[in-house]
Order: sequence, then C-alpha cells, then structure tokens
Amino acid sequence: MSAPAAADPPMIRMVGVHKHFGSLHVLRDINLEVARGEVVVVLGPSGSGKSTLCRSINRLEPIDEGGIEIDGTPLPEEGRALARLRADVGMVFQQFNLFAHKTIAENVELAPVRVRRISKPEAHEAAMQLLTRVGISDQADKYPAQLSGGQQQRAAIARALAMRPKVMLFDEPTSALDPEMVQEVLDVMTSLAREGMTMLVVTHEMGFARRAAHRVVFMSDGEIVEDSVPDQFFTAPRSVRARDFLGKILTH
Amino acid sequence: MDIIFDNIGLYRDGFITTLQICLYAAVGSLLLGTVIATFRVSPLPPLRAAGTAWVTVFRNCPLTIVLFFCAFGLPELGIKGAYFWFGITGLVLYTSAFVCEAVRSGINAVAPGQAEAARAVGLTFTQSLRDVVLPQALRSVVPPLGSVIIAMVKNSAIVGAFGVGGDLFSVQARLTSAQGLSLIPVLLGVALGYLIITIPAGLALGVIERRVAVMR
Amino acid sequence: MRWKAVLRVGVAMAAFAVATTACGQQQGLGSSSSTPSVAQGVHFEPGTTMAKLAEAHTIRIGTKFDQPLFGQQILSGNLTGFDTEVARIIAGALGIPPDKVQWVESPSAQREELIKQGRVDLVVATYTINDKRRQQVSFAGPYYLAGQSLMVKSDNTAITGPDSLRGARAKVCSVQGSTPAENIRKYIDPAQLTLFDVYSKCADALRTGQVDVVTTDNVVLLGFVSNSNGAYKLVGDTFTKEPYGIGIRKGDVAFCTFINDTLTQAAKSGAYANAWKTTAGKVAEQTPQLPTFDSCS
Repeated sequence: MSAPAAADPPMIRMVGVHKHFGSLHVLRDINLEVARGEVVVVLGPSGSGKSTLCRSINRLEPIDEGGIEIDGTPLPEEGRALARLRADVGMVFQQFNLFAHKTIAENVELAPVRVRRISKPEAHEAAMQLLTRVGISDQADKYPAQLSGGQQQRAAIARALAMRPKVMLFDEPTSALDPEMVQEVLDVMTSLAREGMTMLVVTHEMGFARRAAHRVVFMSDGEIVEDSVPDQFFTAPRSVRARDFLGKILTH
Repeated sequence: MDIIFDNIGLYRDGFITTLQICLYAAVGSLLLGTVIATFRVSPLPPLRAAGTAWVTVFRNCPLTIVLFFCAFGLPELGIKGAYFWFGITGLVLYTSAFVCEAVRSGINAVAPGQAEAARAVGLTFTQSLRDVVLPQALRSVVPPLGSVIIAMVKNSAIVGAFGVGGDLFSVQARLTSAQGLSLIPVLLGVALGYLIITIPAGLALGVIERRVAVMR
Repeated sequence: MRWKAVLRVGVAMAAFAVATTACGQQQGLGSSSSTPSVAQGVHFEPGTTMAKLAEAHTIRIGTKFDQPLFGQQILSGNLTGFDTEVARIIAGALGIPPDKVQWVESPSAQREELIKQGRVDLVVATYTINDKRRQQVSFAGPYYLAGQSLMVKSDNTAITGPDSLRGARAKVCSVQGSTPAENIRKYIDPAQLTLFDVYSKCADALRTGQVDVVTTDNVVLLGFVSNSNGAYKLVGDTFTKEPYGIGIRKGDVAFCTFINDTLTQAAKSGAYANAWKTTAGKVAEQTPQLPTFDSCS
C-alpha cells in the first residue's frame, strides 16, 4: 500500500472540536487531520461518538466549539456557501437515504443537474457510467424500494460520486445490510480507495480496515484514544480501551 | 322541485360564481399554504416566526372576521377593488393556514434522512424542499388537504355577506325574501349545488390518492 | 271571579314595572323617549291571538336591530326607532307593557320563516307588503309609505336619480334579498350591484369609496344621513312605493283588524305622530299621515 501524498493543506482538519447532546459530551477535544488521498477508518464501540464525528464534518451536526476545515476552507454557517461546500463532500449513510420518489438514475442525476448545472442528457450519461461502475446499471429505472439493501447502498455511493467530491464520508455504510450483501459494498469502497479517493470511513468491518485503510482512529467516550497505522492498531494496541474493544470484536 | 326548475337560471349563475370563487381560492390557498409551510420548517428563525404567526392568526380567527378585514379593512387602507377579489383574498388567507398545517405534517412525516441526504449532496434548503421533501410530503397530504379544500368550498357560502354578489348561497336570499318563495325547497336547491361541487371533488381526491400511492 | 282578581293583581304589577322601566329608560334615552300607553283591564274574545297574548302577558316582536330611526339597538341594549314605537303601541293595546316585549332580531331574509315557524307573534321591520310575501304571511297596515331613494356622498353631482346610474357607471349597494335590491336591477348592469347582508356594511362601503350609491327605502337612508355629519345626501325623488306592513301569521284576520284599529286610534290620539317625531321625525321633514289600510285577509 502506497503512502498518501503529503499535500498541504489537509483535506479534513478538525481542531479542538467539542459537541454536546444536552448533558452528554459526545465529542471531546477532537483533533484530526486527513490528508489528500488518505483513507482513514474510524473504529469504536457504539456510543463512542464516531458517527457524530463523521456527520459534523459536513455540518449535518453543528459543533459547539472548535474548528473544522475542508481543503483549507473553514465550514461556513448554514446557507448557500455551506451547500456549495457539501457538494464537494460525498456522504454515504447507514440507511442509504436514497430519494424514495425518484428512480435510481434520477437519484444520481439530481444534484449534478441542480447544483452543478449540468444538462440532463449529460448528467444521465454520467449517471449510467457510475451505475455501471458500481454494478447496477440494469436497475437504473427502478425505485429504491425495489432494490436490495446492497444495491441501494451502491446506488447511494454512485449518487455521492456523481458530484465528483474531493472527499467521501461513510457513516457505517454496511451496518444496515444483510451479511451476504456486505461484501459487494466493501468491494466498491475498496476500489475507490485504490483509485486515490480521500475517505473517512466509520465502520465495524475490521477486514476493510486492515486491507484498505492508511490509518485507523479509535474512539471511545467521545475522545480519540488511538491514531495509528492498521497493523500496529490490530497487533499492538496501546490503550486498554482499544484492547478491550478488539478483544470483544475479534472473539465474535 | 318546481322552485328549482323555475329558477334554474339563477341557480346556474350562482353555481358558476361559487365555482369560480372556489377554484381561485383553492389554487391560491394551496400555493400560499405550501409557501407558509416551507417558512415554518425553514432554518431561518425570522421566517419560522413569520410562518408560526401567520398560522396562529388565521387559523384561530373566525372566517367572518377575516372576511370583514378584507372587505372593509382593505378599503380603509386605501386598497380599492372588487368585493369578488376581497372575498377570495379572505378565503385564501384563512384556508392557507389550514393548508400550511396539513403540508407541514406531511413534511414532518418524510423520513429525516431524505432531507439529510439532499443537503449532503449540496442542495440548498429550497432545492431540497422542492425536489426531495415536498414531492414526498404532498403524497401523504392528499387526504387532509382534500378535507381542507372541501371545507373551503362550504365556507365560501359566507362571502355573499361581504359584497360578493350572486354566489350560490345568495340565491337563497333572492328567492325567499325578495320573491317570497319557501325557504326549505329553495335551500334544498342550494345544497344540491354545493354537493355538485364537493362530491366530485371528493371522488377526484380518491383517484389522486390512489394514483400517488401507485407511484410510491 | 278568581280570574278577575288575578288579572287585577297582574295589571297592578305591570303598572309598577312600567313605572320602573320608564325611569330607567329616561336615564338611557333622555326625555325625548315616548312611553306608549298600556291598556288596562283589556278583554278579548277567547281563542283569538289577542286573548292569548294578553293572557300570556308577553309578546315576541320581530324587528331590525341595525336600522337607524326604525329599529336600532343602542348601547344600553334597548331598541329605539319608529318600528319599535309602533310595536310598543300595539303591545300596549294588548295590555302588555314595553318591558314584557321580547324583541327578536329579524333580518330581511328571515322574516317570513320567523312568522311561519311561530317564533314571533308579529314583525315590524321595515317590511314591505307585496304579493309574494302575502302568499306566506298576512299583513296589517300599512302603517307607513316609504319609497326607494338613493344616497350618495355630498360632493357627488354625477348622480341625480336612478336613470343616471348606468351612464355614471355607478357602483350601487343594497341588501341581499331585499325589495330595493330587486328594484334597482332595472336601472343598472349586474356587475354594478354590490350586496351585503345589512345596510351598515353598505354605508361603510360608501364611506371608503368602494361603492358610489346606497339604495333602499328613504327613511332608512335618512338614518345614515343623520349620522354622517353632512357627508351624505339623498338625491332624486322616491321612485317606488313601499308600503310598510306588520307581518303576522297568515290568515289571522281578527289580529289584523285589531292591529289596524289600534293604529287608527293611535293616529287619532297623537300617539302615532309622537312615535314618528321622537324617532325618524328627528331627521325627516314631514310627519306622515297614516296610510289607507289594505283589507285584512
């Protein structure tokens, strides 16, 4: 696995980020950088704040304190500037969140046409290429509810890629899938990583982390406890909490 | 029955006037109500406050008072116009508050993930509402909106008291008091006229409801 | 014997009630208010409407609540106007004092139904006698001959009478279901006519310039003129004859005759003229003569 290009500024930079849900302190002093072309996997027990971290990067969750930059630009307040920035940040959700009233092709075309002002035929052609790439071009005219979970998640990845994002965020992309469909989604993600896409992936898939990640970030109780290369994390975790976590995961 | 047939021309004119009032008022209140609903779910606090204030005022005021303000308040402010349009304005203001609440409940019924996904691909608030949330919201909202519009058709009977000449309900006053005919048969004719509007409207809603259900 | 004793006590109580109400009224209305005389020891042929009302010692009278000079509710809640005075005269002739009269608001469109359903005993409410209405109710009187007229803003010179309305493209206001509204249709296009449920809305529309003309019976219009501080005037002569009658249950000839006799007596005694002078007469130039009655049927 080749080392990521050390380009400046980092694609994602989080400095001193705090967030509360009421009395719950879900993000505690998060400092994290993801370099261009780097694949970072975020691990941790449920409730550790890893999903919130992922969602705060494109401000689906506003933060209380600290700063977040995407490719050197601080996250703007709610409004047009934020919409423009989100267009450059692809996001894949645990529940797919495909637009239920639109066909798969329409799902992929919508944002390029509305946000990038690309003509409909052009957007359709690009959409079909992407759907071919994730292996579901034959499902283009169906509605999301007619597809399997794995197919829906691949369509969601195609929808995000259609905006030609600088970085992709994955929020537990395989957690809602039946076991036999996990692999088809992971394959798409792995090939994306190989192509040099900058990715931040919140997941429980240890295999993916070992195979595709440049770095593993381990979170617990809203804090980043470890930040290391996969080999070191999986073979010699430094913290007690990471050892506990791995012990539970790997014995199952 | 003779009373109705002898005065069929008067009934027909009244029916057409009421139908016109209802069509204009329905289109107006559906559009305005949807806009107010978008205000109420907007991320901007001033718009949310404006939307809430609108609904609070117009949903809680008797229609008669709203019509009073349109027919007599607007001229007081120097706004001159036909009572026909003042009456429609009153109906639209009043009905829009109910349309707004129906649409808003529909918006709230759309899974939050839909709006999140729309924002995440870079759609603005307006775009995500127009392209993603509203089309899905409007489907679940067809039955309550239907009730709102049918109620509006019946409410339109009041505009005759506010200078809108010749609507279906005012036919009653011309035939009974001015011409001295008996009230009950005359009113049966008026009721029939309203049913000719409201029953097909209800049937059409059923059809629309089934069509959007298939598209889902 | 017993019945007579009861009646005597009742009359005494009624007289006391009249005295106390009259005091109350004088505070509210000033000295101009007329107090119609209440007949004492009246006796009617059993079974007649008069006998029933006299025995009940109360009467339900339908009138307008919003027509200045004829039937208008003032702030104290009392009703004042020529119609209500005429009604009190009739009640008095039945031995019923003013405070035993139950007033029922009777908008133009509801008058026949109120009578037919027996919810009022009589209606005195600027109620024009015509044949269509005669099919449903009977009329005593007429007690006054009104006529339709036009009211405009004082500075309006374009409108001189009904024939000038179409040429001036004047917007004309009247009340739904009223005779004046039907009459004026001859002189204007349908689009020029604005109809409300009460005349007070027409007056407001005239004030704001939404309409140019208000049309109805002259006396009704005079009420608005009197309240306008010179802002409005009547133009042209009256162009219809509107005999105002007293609506009663259809076919009650005895009651009709009784009312007509009462009116004739009131004209002789000066009570009729007094009723006019204390109400509409404050604005109108002439005190009217009691018109010739139609025959009771």
